[in-house]
Amino acid sequence: MKDKKPVLTRRDFIRGTIGVTLGASILGLPWPSGGAKAAGSSLVTIVRDKKAMDSAKNIDITVLEKMLTETLTKVTGQKNTKDAWLSLVKPNDVIGLVPTDHLNPTHDEVVHVVKNSLMDSGIPEDRIRDAQGPRNAKKCDALIAIPGLKAHWLTGIGTVLKNYIMYSGSPSRYHQSNSAKLGEIWNLPFVKGKTKLVLVDSLYPLCDKGPQPDPRYLWNYNGFIAGTDPVAVETVCLKIITEKRKTIRGEPWPLSPPPICVEAADKVYGLGTSRIEQIQIKHYGWEEELLL
Amino acid sequence: MNAGKLDLPKTVGVWNRPDSSRHINSKNIFQYMNGAGELYLGYRFRHLEVFDYTSPDQGNILVELYFMENADDAFGLLSLDWGGEPVSFGGTPAATSNQFFTASTRALYGGGLMRLWSDDIYARIMAERETPTSKDAVFALGKAIAANTQQPPEPALVKILPLEIDAVWKLRVDRLSFFRSHLVLNSIYYLSHENILDFDLLTEAVSAPYEHISNSGDPKRSQFLLVQYENPERARQALNRFHDAYLPEYKKIITADTDADNQSLLKLEDGWLAYKLLGKYIAIVFECPDPESAKVILKKNESNLLKKGEGS
Repeated sequence: MKDKKPVLTRRDFIRGTIGVTLGASILGLPWPSGGAKAAGSSLVTIVRDKKAMDSAKNIDITVLEKMLTETLTKVTGQKNTKDAWLSLVKPNDVIGLVPTDHLNPTHDEVVHVVKNSLMDSGIPEDRIRDAQGPRNAKKCDALIAIPGLKAHWLTGIGTVLKNYIMYSGSPSRYHQSNSAKLGEIWNLPFVKGKTKLVLVDSLYPLCDKGPQPDPRYLWNYNGFIAGTDPVAVETVCLKIITEKRKTIRGEPWPLSPPPICVEAADKVYGLGTSRIEQIQIKHYGWEEELLL
Repeated sequence: MNAGKLDLPKTVGVWNRPDSSRHINSKNIFQYMNGAGELYLGYRFRHLEVFDYTSPDQGNILVELYFMENADDAFGLLSLDWGGEPVSFGGTPAATSNQFFTASTRALYGGGLMRLWSDDIYARIMAERETPTSKDAVFALGKAIAANTQQPPEPALVKILPLEIDAVWKLRVDRLSFFRSHLVLNSIYYLSHENILDFDLLTEAVSAPYEHISNSGDPKRSQFLLVQYENPERARQALNRFHDAYLPEYKKIITADTDADNQSLLKLEDGWLAYKLLGKYIAIVFECPDPESAKVILKKNESNLLKKGEGS
């Protein structure tokens, strides 16, 4: 046989041997040493308000502002928004906001509220920029990831880890067999360690893979899911999507392909934890159909 | 067929479209829809025409017409999700979930989106805001697209799968999909991110679960996959590759002898797997609860294939 390199298959996913089989980095990055983990807490907060978005998809900015304040104080343990932001970023940092711009994109209102909140906390406007795009993270000292919550037909879930795909400079290389390797992008020298907060726009998530949005699989969750461990946040997002799919069909409806990139981000790239039992989940506000 | 022949109305209710459409081909499809383009390129995609119907105050309606190489490809795109409300544009009632489901279902609606298969066209018609008025407009556009077009049968490969294996194993027709790409297979039933079954645009494949309803009410499911290659040699090569990648620790038994009981039968982490080379076809069944189930599902499908003069 000409090609004897191991191939990642369904069986690896079932056996939990993804790390053994994943293969070499696309970007030529060394793998982190065994057991490497991102510093920080695996606390994930979910803040929801029934009034954040109505059935006609109108968003109440005032409600969003309150939700953001609650998110920031609960994630950081600080007493107010300003102290919360300043525990995450430095006043003179160039801060990049990284929303998702396609397939259930981040709502503009969410980005607007985050930007205003930073400015209200003393960060000059000219130090806050849109960092979505191939090389935009290079100019930033800190990144705030603000993806929209969604499933994805090539990666299972396409929320947190996939949000930095443009930083690879070659997103199409992650469309097919290498989609499990999305986590390595977070270890690029100009990205690594810069993400200070992951704030998932889960006002109106998409729970099926698409590849184009189908309104039957979009629903009002009216929440922010946040934390400083990107893999833990992604894992909680995954749990919510999985539960929603089960609710829709009345039976288990696993994501296909399975979200191998999430487990790989933990076990191979050391970005955080994908083990739900190791994640501290705290939820506030609207309880209906919490899906946890 | 082209968009001009479709005669899409300039005006539907309060919605109006421009004179010309946006034309998307395989070169610029990723600019239009990012990674979603892989789906359409996984079928035999010719081009896409996009019409934007705008209204002053009721949101827009997007019409996407995917022109495919033939009706099988258009059917395949619809077959990826049989959910939604079946829609009929002619005199016959829309299908419900029965044995003729995939043959007679031409359009499905839900949440403001209509998906339809009409000859070699797969269409998506999506209202930005779902209201009774926008639903009427979406249905009118669907009817215009389906008007004066052929209603070809479903792909021949689909009809090979028996609806019942025995008294307890039934085909989940509402989960049956037709495709040509490993990416599409993975979105239905994940095997590997690599193309371990050598799919290309000359292959045809159908996959669906067989469901076993027991007295306990806890259904067991086994996923069946049938792939047709250009010729027997391509099928043999593909099955070799599949075995090497998916079952590296198991001894390989691949012969073209369809008379013998020569399927490979293996116990894996998620149940029993059986596969068999059948001329230019490969049949594989995954996640069977026991070896007998794997054998009988494979055997019944093989019999159907032989009855249709194939698989030898």
